[in-house]
Order: sequence, then structure tokens, then C-alpha cells
Amino acid sequence: MTIEMIRLMLIDGAMAAIAAIGFAVLSNPSRKAVFVSAFLAAIGHALRYFLIKSGLEIWLATFVAASFIGLMSILFARIIRCPAEVFSFPSLLPMIPGMFAYRTILSLIKFMQTSDVQKAQSFIMDFYHNGITTMFILLALVVGVSLPILFFPKVSFSVTRKY
Amino acid sequence: MNDNLEGKKPTIEQTAVLLIDIASALMSSGAHTMRIIQNVSRMAETFGYDLDLSVFQMSIMMTITSKEDPSKLLTHVKKIKPLLLNFTIVSELSALSWETYDKKLPLETVKVDFQQILAQKRMSKWLVLILVSFANAAFCGLFGGDIYAIGLVFIATLVGFFLRQRMIYRNINHLVVFTTSAFAASLLAGMCYVFQLGSTPEIALATSVLYLIPGVPLINSILDILEGHILTGIARLVNATSLIVCIAIGLFTSMLILGLEKL
Repeated sequence: MTIEMIRLMLIDGAMAAIAAIGFAVLSNPSRKAVFVSAFLAAIGHALRYFLIKSGLEIWLATFVAASFIGLMSILFARIIRCPAEVFSFPSLLPMIPGMFAYRTILSLIKFMQTSDVQKAQSFIMDFYHNGITTMFILLALVVGVSLPILFFPKVSFSVTRKY
Repeated sequence: MNDNLEGKKPTIEQTAVLLIDIASALMSSGAHTMRIIQNVSRMAETFGYDLDLSVFQMSIMMTITSKEDPSKLLTHVKKIKPLLLNFTIVSELSALSWETYDKKLPLETVKVDFQQILAQKRMSKWLVLILVSFANAAFCGLFGGDIYAIGLVFIATLVGFFLRQRMIYRNINHLVVFTTSAFAASLLAGMCYVFQLGSTPEIALATSVLYLIPGVPLINSILDILEGHILTGIARLVNATSLIVCIAIGLFTSMLILGLEKL
């Protein structure tokens, strides 16, 4: 891990944190929860960036990062006494496969409009490739973040208990 | 503390009305089904009743049974208000349910606390608008957009999200709202193509609609399905998917207008 890598990871994390703050306020959580989700998004996204750079497939890296965020959010839920879902969702959002989804739609439209058979075949290949990647990343995100909640049901349902 | 309840157990009607209000508030603020059931059952137990609950997309059905006399029961159905995410309500109601359970709070106190929680003000609309725009611009940066793309996405989100806020305020159908704001945002971001700004117009177009992604319903639906509330989970999943399809339609339309040769 070089200095350059660390610098890139820091930039990546900072942008993920800004994104998470914006998406957190959509669901009107408490102030503390907004900061926690920014923090979790930053480390989660930097972790995924590191994993991808070190050669892991994108959906697997996403799954690992999402489970990490899920675990950490249960820990933070315990500390600031607030259900884990409140900040696990906005901290996941920076990992949404936006470009893949866009290319899926793009290749679909191009397929629809072309009359050349050869081109049409390559567009439909693009469509399936990008579409399946999008779906797998989305599944990896939601299942990855829900697993810790399922593994520790007692903890995740009693974080708001004070006594 | 315990003598609060002795001799004056709340009537079955009072309890049912309060608990179904709480369940419906939780549902419309975006809690997942398991949390709703756990919270409300915990309160019912404190007041000396057993409770069974079915949650649907549009209504909640609840039967409440007296613990001493199982023949004494009451069923109540209530409509759910449209989803307006509010996690402050979810976490504070969750805390209130534990407080009720641990301190054996009387029903009147719970009622007052519940009204107070509901009456809290939301964060200022303008602040949310600015923060969401910055968030989407940061998103564009994450995907590798250059400074022109980031700037245009900021403006596109500002306009698109403002449209969405106004339309939700006027109670327009939420599918129409999503399609229109996705269309407006992506058309504005498409200006990157029209005026040849920067080298990453594709990223600007793709990220301009991401602020609309219905993440909470999506995660709630998977949580519901994984925990065995299949029907509610599928209802939420269909809801989230139809919103995503609407976003795609909006993006699709502006891509057709911009012309595909350039894309």
C-alpha cells in the first residue's frame, strides 16, 4: 500500500461521506445519526475501493464492504441508541451501481433503434452484462447489510433500551 | 413504579386505539415489519394484553386480547398514511416502547409522549435541498466525473429535487413525480453533451438521477423477506421496483430527446 493509494482512498472516503450526509437527511434522522452514516460511508467505500484495487471482483468487494457497514452500524447503534437501519442505508448508497444501470438502459435503447443484426447482438450482450452486474451488486448491498441484523437479532432490536 | 398499573388497567379500546396509531406511524415513517411488531407487542404486554398484528401496504390489522380473559378481544383495522420517511420517529418510538416496558409507564403518559414525538418538526426543506444536491455532485465525483460534470449534476439535482419537493407537496401521484424529476434532472445533465463540456458527459448523465433511488423501501423489503414477512416484503419490493422503472423512463425520454448518435 503506497502513499498514493492512501491518498486516493482518503479522497474516495471524503466524497462518499458528503454523498451519505445528503442521502441521510432525506429520511430525517437525528443529528448524531447523520454523522455516523457519513463516517460509516467513508470507511465502507474506502474499504471497497481498496478491495477492488487489490483485485477482488466488484460484487464480492461490495458484499464484503456492505457486511462491514452492517456490523459497524450495529456497534454504533448500541453506542448512540438508535436503530441500526437508520444509518446503514445512507452509508450504503455511495456504492449503488449507477454507471452499470445507466449502460443497461443505454444499450437497451440502442438495441431498440438499430436495424443492423451484428450491432443488435452486441447491444443485447451489453444489456445482459450490465444488467446482471447491476442486479448482483444491488443484491450484494442489501443482503450484505441485512445479514448482521439477522445474526444479532437480540442486539439489533434492543439498542434503544436504556435500562 | 409498579403500583401505577395496579387497579387501573387501561381498557381494551383505549389500548387498541393508541397501539394501532403507533403501528401506523411506524409503518409510514419507514420501519420494517419486524420492528413494528416487536415495538407494539412490547407495549401491549406492559398494559396486560396480547397482540397479533398483520401489516399490509395500505392498512394495518390488529387483534388485541386480554391476558386474564381470552374471550375479551378487539380487532381494529387502520389505513396507513403514504410513506414519508422519518427515522427520528422510528428511533424515538422504539425507545419509547422500551421505556414503557422497563418503567411500566401508564397509558396516558405514553399517549402524551407519542403525540410529542409526532409533533416534532422536520429538517428545513431548503437545507435538505442543498445537502442532497451536494451529495449527488459528490456521487458524480465518486464515479470519476470531471469538474464540469460535477457542476452540472449539482444544478440538475437542485432543479430535479426542487420539482420533486413541490410535486409531493401538491399530492401528485408518486410515480409521476419520480418520472418527471428524473426527466428534468437528466435533461439538464445532458447539456454536457449539447455544449461539449468536459470529457465525462456520460457520467454526468448517469449520476444525475441517482438522488431518486428508493433505497429505504428496497432495504426494508429485503429485510422483510429475509425475516419471513414475505407478503409485505414483496409489496415493498414491487413499490421500489416501480419507482426505479419510473426513473429509467425519465432518463430514457431525455436520452431520446438528446439524440442517441452522440451517446
